Amino acid sequence: MSAFPTTTGSGTGSDAAGTTAPAASLTSVFVRLKLSLLRNGLRQSGGRTAAYILSIVFGAVLAAALVLAFVLMRGSADADSVAILLVGALALSWAVMPLFIPSGDETLDPSRLVMLPLRPRPLVRALLVASLVGVGPVLTFVLALGAALSVAHGAAGTVLAVLAVPLTAVTCVALSRAVAAANIRLLTSRKGRDLALLSGLIIAVGMQLVNFGAQRLGQAGGLESLEPVTAVVGWLPPAAAIAAVDSAAQGDYAVAAVRLLLTAAALVALLYWWQRSLVRLMVEPDGSTIGAASDAGVRDRSDGTGLLGRFLPDGRTGAVMERSLRYLWRDPKTKAGAVTSLALGLIVPLVNALQGTGSIYWACFASGMLGMLMYNQFGQDTSAFWIVAQTISTTADAYAELRARAMALLVITLPYSVFVTALTVGILGEWQQLPEAVGLALGLLGAMLATGSVASGAFPYSIPQDSGYKNVAPGQGALAWISIFGGMLTAALLCAPLIGATIYFHVSDQESLLWLLFPAGSLYGALLVWAGLKVAAPRTARRLPEILAAVSKG
Amino acid sequence: MPDQAFDGAFDKAGAAPEDGAVPAVHVEGLWKRFGQQIAVNGIDLVLPAGRFIGLVGPNGAGKTTTLSMITGLLRPDQGRIRVAGHDVWADPESVAQVKARIGILPEGLRLFERLSGRELLAYSGRLRGLPGAEVDKRAAQLLDVLDLTGSQNKLVVDYSTGMRKKIGLAAALLHNPEVLFLDEPFEGVDPVSAQTIRGVLERYTASGATVVFSSHVMELVESLCDWVAVMAAGRIRAQGPLAEVRGDAPSLQAAFLELVGANGREAAGDSLDWLGGGAQR
Repeated sequence: MSAFPTTTGSGTGSDAAGTTAPAASLTSVFVRLKLSLLRNGLRQSGGRTAAYILSIVFGAVLAAALVLAFVLMRGSADADSVAILLVGALALSWAVMPLFIPSGDETLDPSRLVMLPLRPRPLVRALLVASLVGVGPVLTFVLALGAALSVAHGAAGTVLAVLAVPLTAVTCVALSRAVAAANIRLLTSRKGRDLALLSGLIIAVGMQLVNFGAQRLGQAGGLESLEPVTAVVGWLPPAAAIAAVDSAAQGDYAVAAVRLLLTAAALVALLYWWQRSLVRLMVEPDGSTIGAASDAGVRDRSDGTGLLGRFLPDGRTGAVMERSLRYLWRDPKTKAGAVTSLALGLIVPLVNALQGTGSIYWACFASGMLGMLMYNQFGQDTSAFWIVAQTISTTADAYAELRARAMALLVITLPYSVFVTALTVGILGEWQQLPEAVGLALGLLGAMLATGSVASGAFPYSIPQDSGYKNVAPGQGALAWISIFGGMLTAALLCAPLIGATIYFHVSDQESLLWLLFPAGSLYGALLVWAGLKVAAPRTARRLPEILAAVSKG
Repeated sequence: MPDQAFDGAFDKAGAAPEDGAVPAVHVEGLWKRFGQQIAVNGIDLVLPAGRFIGLVGPNGAGKTTTLSMITGLLRPDQGRIRVAGHDVWADPESVAQVKARIGILPEGLRLFERLSGRELLAYSGRLRGLPGAEVDKRAAQLLDVLDLTGSQNKLVVDYSTGMRKKIGLAAALLHNPEVLFLDEPFEGVDPVSAQTIRGVLERYTASGATVVFSSHVMELVESLCDWVAVMAAGRIRAQGPLAEVRGDAPSLQAAFLELVGANGREAAGDSLDWLGGGAQR
C-alpha cells in the first residue's frame, strides 16, 4: 500500500519479540485470519457452503458479462459516460452497502483487537488488505478493469489504466470501511439510538439518488442528457481515476494526472478518516445504552408493562407484541433497519410522484420495504431466542408467537402503507385510483409478511450483537441474501393474481370495476398472512434447536 | 433418531431409584458430537427428585452440552431423556409437559437485553401463559428477594454479571418449576450476589423442588449439594450422594482430581523456565 510508505519497519514489529518479521507480517496475519474465518464459517454448514458457491458463480457470470459489454463498447461515443457513471455507482453502492446490507467481517472488528499492541497505521493497512479478500472486491476490480478497457486507447491510456484499476478497487473498499467505521461510531455513541434514525435516513436518501439516476438513464436519449452528470462524476474519486484513463487516451495528460492524483488523495483521506474512527472506537466505551437506561427509569411503572401494554391483548400475543415494538425503538440495529424501511418506503413513491414520473403503483414499494422487517425474526432475537424456544412446544404455540410478531409489525406497517398510498395518490391527483392502489399495497404487504414468517422459520441467521460491523455472522451472508431475495420474489409471484386482475381491468376497459381490488387485495393479503403463518408454524415448532443454533452463531 | 434408546444401556447406571419415585432427570445412552469431536459420549444419568444436585467437571467436559440437551435447547444425536417422567424429545404433548415443569439459567446465551429487568420478567411470565397480575406479583417479590428492586427499571444490557445471573434466575423461577437447571450460576458473580442466589436456591429445594447446577468449583458444590455427578471428557465418571462420591478422599476436590485422572500432573520442571521475574525476556 503506497499510502503509508514510511510505516514499514515501525509499528508492532519494533517492540515485538524479534523472531517475527515486523509490520509486513501483521497484514499477512489478517489475510490468513480472514481466510480461516471464511473457511470455518463455511465448514459449519453445507447449506452455507452451497449458498456461498452460488454467489461466487453468480458474481463470476455477472463480471464476465459486464467486461464483455465494456469491451464491445470500446470506441463508442458513450463509452466514457457509461464507464465513469458505472464506477461512480459502484463506489456509491460500496459506501451504502455496509450500512444496509448483511455483511460479516470479523477481521474488521476493532473491539476484538483492543487488547493487542497494534499501532493504528499498520492496523489500518492490514485491515485494508484483509478487506480486499472476498468476492465483492474481486468483482469490483474486474468491473474497474472493464471500465478502463472501454476507454483506454494508446500507450498513455494503458499506463494510466494499470494505475487506475487497482486504485479504484482499493478506494471503493476503503470508502466502504471508512463509512462503516463512522457509522459504528454513531451507533455506539451516547446518542447512538437517536443517530440510528439519521443513518437510516441518509441511506434512504442515497438510495433515492441512485434511483433518480437510473430513471434518467432509462429515458429517451438518456446518455446524452447525462453528459453534465458525467462531467461532475468524472472529478469525483474513484470515478475520477477511470476519467483519468479517458483523458489520457484523448491526450489531455495534465487533466489525467490531476484526476489520478485526486483519487489517490481521496484514498489517503479516507484511510485517515477510517483510522481516526478506529482509534476512537477502540478507546471509547459503548455509550448507546446510557440514555435508554434513564428513559426506562423515568417511566417507573409498577406492573412491568408500559403505556403500550394497556392497549395490547393479554397473554402471549400481547407480551410478544409489546417486546417487538419495544425492540423496534430500543435496539439500535432493529431501529436503524425499521427507520430505513419507513423512510425509503415514503421517499421513493413520493419523490417519484413529485417529479411527475410517478405512478400510484410506486406506493407498493412501501409495502415491500416494510414487509422486509418480518424477515429473520428469530435472528433479531439473537441467542435470547432460547427464552422463546422454552415456551414453544406445539405448532399452536409457534403459530401464536409468529402471529403476535406479525401483528406487532402490522400495528405500524398497515396504517403506514395506507398513509403512503393515499399521499402518493393525492399528489398525483388520481383519487379514483386510491382503492386499487391500497388493495395492491395491502396484498403485497400480506405476501411479504407471509414469506417473511416462512423464511424466519426456514432460514434463520444470526445478527451478531457484539459488533456493529456485522449484520450477519461470517459465512451466513449468502444465506441471508438468498432468504431475502427468494422471499421477495415469492411475494411478487404470490401477488400475481392481484396484479393480473389490475392489468385485466385496465386493458379490458372495465375500470369501473377497479375498486374491487381494495376488498380483494385486503382479503387476499390477510389470507396470505394466515397461510404463511400456518406454513411457518409447524416448521418453526419442529426446528427450535436448529433455529437457536443458527441465531446464536457469531 | 433423537428418541432412540440404547438397548442394554438402561441397566448399567440407570438402576431405578431405590424408593421407586420418578427421578427428576433420567438420561439413557445420550450422545452428541460436533463434527469430529464427541462432546457427550453415551452417558446414563439418574438424578433423584428433591435434591440439590451438582454436575461437576473440568472445562470442556460436556456439562453445558448435556444440560442443553436435557432442557430441550440442543437436539441429541442419540439417547433418551426424561424429566419428571416426560420425554424431552418425543411428541409435542410430552415436550409441553417438560417445558412447563423446568426452569433454565443457561450459560453463554443472551437475555432480551433491551428490556428492563422488570419488563423481562413480565415478558417471560406472560410467554409462559401465567395471568398478568400473578406475573407482576411474583416478579415484584423475586426482584425484592434478589435485591434487584433498585435496578428493576434499568435495561438488562447495563446490568453487571451478578445482576444478569440474578435476573436470569428470577425469570427461571417465575413459573415455579419442578426442576431448575442452572449452568454455572456462580461464574463471575460477586460474593454478595452469590450468597443471595444461594439463599433463594436453598429455600427452593427445601420445599421439595430439584436444582441441577453445573460448576467446576468443587468447594461450592461440596458446600451446597447433597448429590453429585462427575463428568469428564464426555462421560459420567461417578454419580451418587456426595459422601459416596467423595469416599475416603479428604475433599471433593481430591476425589474429583483422582476420578478425572489429573492427580499425577505437576508443573513440569524446566518446560516453563523462561517464565518468572528474574528470567531473560
